[in-house]
Amino acid sequence: MVSRRRRGKRGRGHAPGDPRNIGWLYVLPGLLFYLLFTLGPLLHTVYYSLFSWDGLTAKTWVGLANYSEAVHDSVLRAAFLHSAILIVFYAVLPVSVGLLLTAALTRTAIRGFRFFRTTLFLPQLIAGVVIAQAWSWVYDAQGPLNRFLQLVGLGSLVRPWLGDFTWALPSIGVIGTWVTFGLCMVLFVAGVQKIPIELYDAARVDGAGAVREFFAVTLPGLRNEVLVAFVLTTINALRNFDIIYNTTAGGPGNTTIVPSMYMYQNAFLFNRVGYAAAIATLLALAIFILAAIMLRIGDRPEDR
Amino acid sequence: MKRRLAGLTFIVAVALVAVGVGVSFGAKKQTTTLTMWSYDNQDPGLEPVLKQLSADFEKSHPGVTINIVFKDFNSLVGTVPRALASGTGPDVTEGNEGYQTDAQLVKAKLIIPLTKYVAKYHWSTLYAPSTWGMFRWTADGKSFGKGPIWGLAQTGQNVVVFYNKKKLTQAGLNPNKMPQTYAGFEKMLATLRAKLPSSDPVIEEGNKEGYGFIHLFGGIWGASVKPSVVRNWVYHVPGSRYDTPGTIAALTRLQAWGKAGYFNSDYNAVGYDTSAGLFAKGKGAMWIGGDWDSTIIKTGLGAANIGVMPVPPGPSGQWASIGGLSGSWHISAKTKYADLGAEWLNYVITSSRAKTLMFGQQQLPADRSAQPPTSDPYLTQVDKGFTRVANADGLLLYTDWASPSMYTTLQNQYQLLLAGRTTPQGMAQAVQADWAKFDKTLH
Repeated sequence: MVSRRRRGKRGRGHAPGDPRNIGWLYVLPGLLFYLLFTLGPLLHTVYYSLFSWDGLTAKTWVGLANYSEAVHDSVLRAAFLHSAILIVFYAVLPVSVGLLLTAALTRTAIRGFRFFRTTLFLPQLIAGVVIAQAWSWVYDAQGPLNRFLQLVGLGSLVRPWLGDFTWALPSIGVIGTWVTFGLCMVLFVAGVQKIPIELYDAARVDGAGAVREFFAVTLPGLRNEVLVAFVLTTINALRNFDIIYNTTAGGPGNTTIVPSMYMYQNAFLFNRVGYAAAIATLLALAIFILAAIMLRIGDRPEDR
Repeated sequence: MKRRLAGLTFIVAVALVAVGVGVSFGAKKQTTTLTMWSYDNQDPGLEPVLKQLSADFEKSHPGVTINIVFKDFNSLVGTVPRALASGTGPDVTEGNEGYQTDAQLVKAKLIIPLTKYVAKYHWSTLYAPSTWGMFRWTADGKSFGKGPIWGLAQTGQNVVVFYNKKKLTQAGLNPNKMPQTYAGFEKMLATLRAKLPSSDPVIEEGNKEGYGFIHLFGGIWGASVKPSVVRNWVYHVPGSRYDTPGTIAALTRLQAWGKAGYFNSDYNAVGYDTSAGLFAKGKGAMWIGGDWDSTIIKTGLGAANIGVMPVPPGPSGQWASIGGLSGSWHISAKTKYADLGAEWLNYVITSSRAKTLMFGQQQLPADRSAQPPTSDPYLTQVDKGFTRVANADGLLLYTDWASPSMYTTLQNQYQLLLAGRTTPQGMAQAVQADWAKFDKTLH
């Protein structure tokens, strides 16, 4: 208090590294951009979700009616359940496979490693529509997968995979695993190189085997990478739209419907933009909560 | 803490991008360019006709450019309302009859009533008076089948049976003496199932997009329910119901066809036009679908080897099937060239050049006065399949017109029914529930 009274007009009281109001000027462009294109649309969506609106004519205020409908909507419940199943395929499996491959790579040098790394990462670079088309062909009734099954004497397993009530969702899940595990692996392989080689030497001197070494050295060392991989792939799983839209469009029945697909149907086919906005808000909330939980687990002070 | 905040901010940003829906439209317009949107590009359907007619139109109207854009059905009806509202959308576009699209366009005043042009070009005699119902709406978009005319269509459409004459003969049936009753038709299906190898379906079916069974069901439905009852249900005439004994009986028959193994097992994974193509290559003894695909079938099997007829009538003797006119053409309320747009519509729908080109593509002009060329017996069969039903007042319209979500509901319910995961009663109730939910918003 005292020092403030003595301050001169030109603010000489600031320490050199102290934050000053001018800092806001520096972040202003980014902040404006963020408000305009990120926060704005989010708030807009929340606002729309409080109306009954066909997207064209006048809106009618309905308060939280869209949300109470959503809570009782069995299709939406199914959609979120399918998303939960897809998280296994889009996040849990790719991270596991990625870790396994990384563990193998740290033990043995593989010839042509760069080639494999590039090839396995490639699905990340292909547009979702192209991936969906390619896999539709793989899963086709007369497609390569079924022909292969017939060839090896498993003809009884042959089925139109994407048109099958039981198998359509897992089939889409496998596409997701294929797309994301390369990303996880590249993240992990890069991470492993940061782990001091001494730790591995020490583990080996102590007589640790491959499994022990993985859990004692590699996994703890990759903690941040695993966290990033989980957050990215889980978000990927939850917002999955292009692959579903271009393979099954939610069918057969509603067996592959996911929140984003259902949101699309409501907004663009059923003329129910208000309800679609409510679904979008719930989906964003779900993504936000899941990501927050994961980051919280990840931020836990390391127990050494 | 700061890092966590940054992380959370990042997550919020990603979540927003994930769910944000932003669609932008528009192409810069020169002063005399008219943009038309159409989904009539089924392999190849009307696309070459529209392109040729537009080129003709440009020639007779120097300085006018017709920019005709083809999109698939779902992406067109999904985007056209917002495109029209933006003011940079098409000048003339196809919509779709029914509550999902046309009702919206009328209600939001995105298209204009065609009353003025109906008088100017004498369109009122183009179609039968009852046919005009599918273009009539009250200005609030709530009452279907009455009010001014808002649209116009190019071709007549009907779901018919295409049969492979050679296969029928091989099964000991006479393809020139087809059953004339529904019961006789079902008997023939059973014979075919018994005689064909088990790997070959009786009916090659493609339901990947979800409308295969919506179309196919019309023939069975029409055999046990009066066509006017179905139309009234589509028009939301008060008191109409879907879950009637007649409809449930028909759904039971459809499920029985599935259980009897009449369809290829991969129907949910095969596209509609793809299945027509497979039938044309010799798969299955029949294909039941839209007559607009008749070119695909002719190209594969050869005209002489194909028979065409609607599913024959039930006890009432009235021929009926799913059908109506093709997508409704509208004029944007925001276009500067409404008169020119109407002139183009008049040319592509009523000119003799247009009719010749349509017949040339195996499409049936909606104009009642059009006669197929006598030199083409296959086309005459297809045309007869349409007029037989249309003249008997038996067009059932398209069931999905009945509510914005009806297409998705029917798509799901037919898949469940055919997979044995719902009963005919269960399906009828689910469909009626969709109808009733939407019906409430109309009163």
